[in-house]
Amino acid sequence: MHIVVCAKQIPDPETPPSAFRIDAASNKVVPAQGIAPVLSQFDGIAAEAALRIKEANAGSKVTVISLGADSAASAIKQVLAMGADEGVLLNDPAFEDGDSYTTAKTLAAAIKKLGDVDAVFCGRQAADWDMGQVGLLIAEEMGWPVSIIAKGVTTGGAGLQIQRVVEDGYETVETPLPAVVTVSNEFGEPRYPKLPQIMAAAKKTVTQWKTADLGLDAGEVGAAGARLKLEKLSTPPRGGAVELMPGDSPEEQAAALVAKLRADKII
Amino acid sequence: MPDLTAPTSPKNGRVGAWWGPAVGLSGLGFYAATTIPESAGREIYFNVAHPWAVYVFLAALIGLLVYGLVHHIRLWGIGRPTPGMLSEIPHRFRNAMRLGLAQEKVRRDRYAGIMHWCIFSSIVVLTFVTAQVAIEGDTPIKFLHGTYYLIFSFYGDLFGLIGLIGVGMALNRRYFQDFHRIRWDERLEDHVIIVGLGLVLLSGFLVEAARILVSELVQHPDWAPWSFVSFVIAKGLAGFAMEEASVLTLHAWTWWFHIASAFGWLALIVFTRLDHLFFAPVNAFFLRTDSPGRLAKIEDIEQQEVFGVGYVQDFTWKQLFELDACVRCGRCTEVCPANISGQPLSPMHLIQDLKSHLATVGPDIQTHVHQFGDAGREVSPVAMVGDVIKDETLWACRTCGACMQECPVMIEHVPTIVDMRRFLVMNEARIPATAQSALENLESRGHPWRGTALERTTWMEGLGEVPIFDGSQEYLYWVGCSGSLVERNLPITKAVFRLLGESGASFGVLGQEETCNGDPARRLGNEYLYQILAQQLVETFKSKNVQRVITNCPHCFNTFKNEYPQFDGNFEVLHHTEFLSGALKTGKLKATHAVSADVTYHDSCYLGRLNGQYDAPRQIIEMVPGANLLEMQRNFSKGLCCGAGGGNMWQEEIGERRVNHVRSEEAVRTGASQVISNCPFCIQMFEDGVPAVHPEEEGRMRPFDIAELLEESVFGKR
Ligand code: SF4
Ligand code: SF4
Repeated sequence: MHIVVCAKQIPDPETPPSAFRIDAASNKVVPAQGIAPVLSQFDGIAAEAALRIKEANAGSKVTVISLGADSAASAIKQVLAMGADEGVLLNDPAFEDGDSYTTAKTLAAAIKKLGDVDAVFCGRQAADWDMGQVGLLIAEEMGWPVSIIAKGVTTGGAGLQIQRVVEDGYETVETPLPAVVTVSNEFGEPRYPKLPQIMAAAKKTVTQWKTADLGLDAGEVGAAGARLKLEKLSTPPRGGAVELMPGDSPEEQAAALVAKLRADKII
Repeated sequence: MPDLTAPTSPKNGRVGAWWGPAVGLSGLGFYAATTIPESAGREIYFNVAHPWAVYVFLAALIGLLVYGLVHHIRLWGIGRPTPGMLSEIPHRFRNAMRLGLAQEKVRRDRYAGIMHWCIFSSIVVLTFVTAQVAIEGDTPIKFLHGTYYLIFSFYGDLFGLIGLIGVGMALNRRYFQDFHRIRWDERLEDHVIIVGLGLVLLSGFLVEAARILVSELVQHPDWAPWSFVSFVIAKGLAGFAMEEASVLTLHAWTWWFHIASAFGWLALIVFTRLDHLFFAPVNAFFLRTDSPGRLAKIEDIEQQEVFGVGYVQDFTWKQLFELDACVRCGRCTEVCPANISGQPLSPMHLIQDLKSHLATVGPDIQTHVHQFGDAGREVSPVAMVGDVIKDETLWACRTCGACMQECPVMIEHVPTIVDMRRFLVMNEARIPATAQSALENLESRGHPWRGTALERTTWMEGLGEVPIFDGSQEYLYWVGCSGSLVERNLPITKAVFRLLGESGASFGVLGQEETCNGDPARRLGNEYLYQILAQQLVETFKSKNVQRVITNCPHCFNTFKNEYPQFDGNFEVLHHTEFLSGALKTGKLKATHAVSADVTYHDSCYLGRLNGQYDAPRQIIEMVPGANLLEMQRNFSKGLCCGAGGGNMWQEEIGERRVNHVRSEEAVRTGASQVISNCPFCIQMFEDGVPAVHPEEEGRMRPFDIAELLEESVFGKR
């Protein structure tokens, strides 16, 4: 089985609020000084899911694809160190500032170019914009079935058996292959890479593809092809205030608190 | 260089001069002996048929000892080479004398020290006594007569008696006292050794008494009292009014019993922990000569096949050798914070488990290694790391060094434990989730504090101009991740900053450019990550022309001071307590405001035990007017870890209790209102531990860094 994992490199979600800045003129996040970008946490989990299937099915292969700038190669190396076999970086200035649609379109073109792919695993959403669209749109582009927010994936039945997180538990579905799966944090933690694999990953070369390699037009990718327009980006105002509840006894204070929360439509 | 032999406190640093009485007594004997005629002496092999049989015993014993040694040497030989073992020979020789022969560590337990000295000196002296008898009897050299003979008799009896006293003390501890540590791994041999020695000594006295009864008491009653113990026994025997023939029979039988039991007892060296007779001084010779705070560097890490030690033959031969030196005394386990808290680690059992693993799989590996090289790795059906030594055992270690400090045979547990952790982390990637998260954070964010909302410059707020280090200042003030990214520690960082400024020191900080120096990665076993971080930082220091560093944190201190030289980073490193106590002494800082409080002081492992700095912090406390220092029961080199060392700051504890609760209890018991430490981890552990053991907020003890205490005294209350 050949599984593709889509991995995105994002600004560190743990950037301290005081160091997180937005450039109003360009409507962009200013990279925080000294804080390196990281692999989106959900994509690491998707990689873990793919690797477990690889280990359970001899002869399987995992390829990791990322769309991003040069620095995104380190996100690919990270997944290679976990045990993925090959890495592809879709790196072209033309890809910049796209939306979920162009990203999915570009990734799908790469998947088609790889050819023999049986399944695509994505994180349930990228931890920066939190849109959760790319997996679905890849399935659309490929014309494949998609199962989202999986907490468990195994081979079996028609192809894959997937435990999907739903509001009050999970449901088990079966999908034929090829298929797209988006994996959720309920799946579990990604593995810690073993050093021999880190060394092996360091030696691997990451394939780089540009617009032309994918048979795409500069006009249909990146900002040029995007359908979503970003109007304005801003940080939510931060602040706190303390209000002490009146009352002579804890019971009275509790009653006052409940009344207040009701009035503010919090409960 | 602390050599892990530091005193428990200045007051009881030395166990008194126990050899004094022995010298006094012998002086007396010498004086009296000057009046003795040359003819004094005795018949060697008196009343013994076929005395040559002794040499058969001797040959058998030597054969056994050689066999045992060869067997062991071959087993140790499966280990890797141990670099540097023959450097600094004079220093090593001194160690062998001090720690091996003079048994400095054994004496850290006073009772055991006296007991052990009695037995040890008795065996040494009596071996010489016996050898002299053999020389007199079986060679043409004749010297056992006259004054010398009587002195010889006196010494023989004196040390026989001393030996019996030692045996009595040992029997008392083993059978009549509620003394636990020696029973944690008690075996049949322990009883055999001590009872056997008692029998050897008693039978020796009986032989001599029987001989005196029928010879000296009859012929030279004035010589007899020199063998004062046997003399008394002979007098006692005389009371039974036995026939001379029965006394001679008694003599002959006890003589043979004495000889057989003595050789039998010596043969135990080959089969029991009595082998420490040889191994302890040799292990003292091989004891590391560098700082115990330093972990070995894996050279050419990228070229290794296996990372860390997961197979017994990947230990160095020194590590294998020391397994055999262990005497199961339990001292290490008794002081181990993990063990004290009911967590799954006992350093003694760890060493013993490795020892029996070596004995089980060693011989096989030996053959395989010689036949197939490293393929011999696969030989054992049980995994050393995982089956023999459990993962959670390795993770429970705080690298506090208390075990190494106490071990009377100088076993170094920490490097062995960390070697196996290295295997777990780098080779197997088996690692507790929270520790993994700290390591991942180190990799991607350059600090171990996942989820912090602080920046490396947050602490500077409200301090005015903070000088950035540019090479022109004398000192780099190294704040460290904990000093800048953990809310509780910001006041400590500010306090050190203000005090440095007040002292007039020329210093700067790195601010945003600080990155973790790698200590948590190394302690958690990720040597690869550590090396990357260390190399980077050494480069940064060099490029900025850093010469002198002052640190907040004893872990940073230890890393820069003891470990960065492995990466060609040689800097002069001071912990803030060292700088501040110096500034107080030279009058650059003046502690003028009284801080009226009873305080207790907690020795952090990395400043205290592993780097030998016990005085500077106490001097600061003494110079703060009003502060009254109340020592905890475990202090100085016997101080108990706070629980956070060795990467345990980032792990969930498993076991009955938490180490910081145990230590907080000890601090609270002093009745002090503040517990003072010198380490951001210790402070966090107390912040957490004190409320847990002292739930009422009223009158609860509060943890402070020593810099906070001094800040209040220098600048007044904020
Ligand atoms: S270093 Fe400390 S925690 Fe580790 S085994 Fe030794 S005494 Fe126990
Ligand atoms: S390792 Fe040392 S301290 Fe521990 S039981 Fe063995 S000899 Fe005693």
